[in-house]
Amino acid sequence: MISHHKKSAWSYFNFTRILGAVAAASSLLATPLMAADNSSTGYYSLSGESDTVFRMRTNIEKNNIYPIYEYLHFDLTKTLKDGSSASFYLGGWGRADLADKSTDKYTDGDLQYGYLSYRAAKNNVVINLGRQFVTEGVATERLDGVYLHSDFAGGFGAAVYAGKPVITEPNFKGGNVVYGTRISQSDSQYYTVGLSALKSERENNSRYREEEGLDLWFHPLDQIDMTGRSTYNSITGGWMEHAYALSVIPLDQLRISADFSHVNYYDYFFNMTASSFSFADKLIDPNEKLTTAGVALSYLPIKNLTVIADYKLYNYEIARKAEYFGGKVTYTLPQSFAVGIGLHRMEGKADHLRYTEYRAYASKQIGRANVYVDFINLEYNKRINGVKNSYAVTGAAGYQFNKTLLLGASMEYSRNPEFDSELRGLLKITYAFDTRLGEGGRKNEK
Amino acid sequence: MRSKFYILMVLALALSTLYACANTNSIIRKHPEALAGLTACSECHESTLGAMNHQATDFYKRHGSFSGANPQVCAACHQQSFCSDCHSHKEGIKPSEKFFIDAPERNLPHRGDYLTQHRIDGRVNPVACAKCHGRQNNERCKTCHR
Ligand code: HEC
Ligand code: HEC
Ligand code: HEC
Ligand code: HEC
Ligand code: HEC
Repeated sequence: MISHHKKSAWSYFNFTRILGAVAAASSLLATPLMAADNSSTGYYSLSGESDTVFRMRTNIEKNNIYPIYEYLHFDLTKTLKDGSSASFYLGGWGRADLADKSTDKYTDGDLQYGYLSYRAAKNNVVINLGRQFVTEGVATERLDGVYLHSDFAGGFGAAVYAGKPVITEPNFKGGNVVYGTRISQSDSQYYTVGLSALKSERENNSRYREEEGLDLWFHPLDQIDMTGRSTYNSITGGWMEHAYALSVIPLDQLRISADFSHVNYYDYFFNMTASSFSFADKLIDPNEKLTTAGVALSYLPIKNLTVIADYKLYNYEIARKAEYFGGKVTYTLPQSFAVGIGLHRMEGKADHLRYTEYRAYASKQIGRANVYVDFINLEYNKRINGVKNSYAVTGAAGYQFNKTLLLGASMEYSRNPEFDSELRGLLKITYAFDTRLGEGGRKNEK
Repeated sequence: MRSKFYILMVLALALSTLYACANTNSIIRKHPEALAGLTACSECHESTLGAMNHQATDFYKRHGSFSGANPQVCAACHQQSFCSDCHSHKEGIKPSEKFFIDAPERNLPHRGDYLTQHRIDGRVNPVACAKCHGRQNNERCKTCHR
């Protein structure tokens, strides 16, 4: 712990402190390993969850498939007396199809993340090494690499990351390296302003992605909150997206939220790899520009009852506009009872962009058991594959044996333009664990 | 070469000073209260933490801005597995199927038969889709979109 320092400005430049900081900065990477050795000064904890999922369904080729999935994630942490910690996080899944072993795709899997993390007790110093999900301004990326974050004087903070983008296909034509940064200045009560940049290069060092962004978060009063971001593509030399949202709470029971966005398709979809978003496939028109504006009112006439009305306008430079509007009423008693009904209309000016959406759900906790029904119906103005509507009814039940073990099952029946009638089943076993090893660490937790 | 070294030294020194003077307390690694279901942060917190109220109708739309501004706050309650359920680079199960029992009030994307409806939503606002399928999690799409 650094003690109080109300003496003089000089104490800020206290030589030993600077030296300490430099030493700390350079040895930070080694710290997790050292910390793990130092078992007399902290405690270990292990927590995580295993979800085993068994599905019965029909695939697009109309064959029955019976895949079984195992999702596992855990966090092994060593917390030190000074409040810093070193952790190892891992998450991933594997799948095998029990019926169809004919193709080489009958087993599959993925490492979602796996990284070592060191977090200091001071200055929000974070060092992550490995496969991880990074969200910093313009970046919402999964990468194999390194991430560093620290606070600095004057409310400044900075994050840097670099690595290899995580890709799913062997013949991927995307980036070879990705790196970036975000620098922010904030007053933890009222605002945060951030500048961020991301760059990704192809194998031959050609430019693949170069994005810069400005993000804002204003919270002048507890009744007003505004967030937003503008993102620029410096390869195309144009703004990709401006997206801003505002919420105002004039009364305790009333919340008004509004959002606005503007997107230039050419700059936004530039070098996207999915065929459905590439210009080559002609589904995305590079000359299109989209402006959206939305508003929602949510009102709580009595506790736990919420009435929501919302409207969103999609305005295009080329295509004809679309509007989405509707409402929802929900009654929720947390962990006990929930019902909701919703009605929405998508009103595109083009015929095939019109539908009405109905939804109703209810769930109830009865002792250790939980039951749930959900109904969704979509009515299309223009028939799709000759079919006018698509509905799905889901029924589910769960049973909590104890704190760690939960068993659940669901059945979904649907009729839709893709399937005349389809029945799907799912069985899930969730096992959660959370243990603490080593000597009495309780006091260390804030 | 030499001047580069000096610049780096000065930069390192300046950063270290700024670092040493920050002296903020790190955000806790694990939230002290274990919470379940969509949580009203504002019941216990004020200012920006209160603004992350998960029960707010627009939280779902705005959570990306909050996490992009301060990912350490989210990490106090969510492991990355939680985000990966929706933000996957490769996934086999829709979030709405995997979480059926947990919370019908949650805003899980793609409820019901999405293969049909995505044709309309994807045309109306492909930007929203590209955030998750643009450069990853699109193996499935290829069966139809080549
Ligand atoms: C039941 C009350 C309760 C609720 C609800 C709650 N918190 Fe907390 N939270 C606490 C307490 C108690 C602390 C520890 C004291 C403190 O630091 O304020 C804490 C601490 C925190 C911290 C650490 C602050 C720091 O500087 O280290 C964060 C971040 C946080 N909460 C975020 C949230 C968010 C986001 C939500 C909503 C999703 C939430 N909390 C909901 C009670 C609550
Ligand atoms: C229930 C599904 C779901 C979960 C869980 C989820 N997200 Fe999201 N996230 C979305 C959706 C949908 C969007 C896109 C919203 C939009 O702009 O239309 C999004 C957008 C984002 C964005 C902005 C991306 C961009 O390019 O604008 C970030 C950052 C983000 N999420 C981070 C996170 C993090 C961090 C977590 C875990 C703490 C998380 N999300 C959990 C559904 C989810
Ligand atoms: C105090 C603990 C806490 C903090 C801090 C917190 N969350 Fe949550 N969050 C929860 C809980 C509990 C749920 C409900 C999970 C469930 O039902 O399984 C949840 C649900 C969500 C959901 C799902 C919403 C939906 O409608 O489906 C998203 C997205 C999410 N959190 C994102 C974030 C992001 C991004 C941050 C950081 C800005 C964050 N959370 C910080 C506790 C927290
Ligand atoms: C927050 C991330 C996220 C966003 C945003 C998102 N998706 Fe998805 N989507 C997923 C995940 C995860 C799956 C499950 C993967 C799978 O089934 O292979 C999925 C599955 C799908 C499927 C297969 C559905 C089925 O019934 O099997 C389609 C089609 C699809 N998405 C289209 C879209 C379109 C169109 C949009 C934009 C309107 C969109 N997605 C936005 C995450 C997202
Ligand atoms: C079962 C086949 C099928 C699958 C799987 C599928 N799509 Fe589609 N998709 C279609 C069809 C058919 C259309 C309508 C094309 C048209 O109107 O010309 C469409 C339209 C779209 C559109 C709208 C394009 C436009 O401007 O009209 C987007 C975006 C899209 N799909 C994205 C996806 C994504 C992302 C996935 C994977 C997550 C996916 N699709 C999976 C069949 C499919």
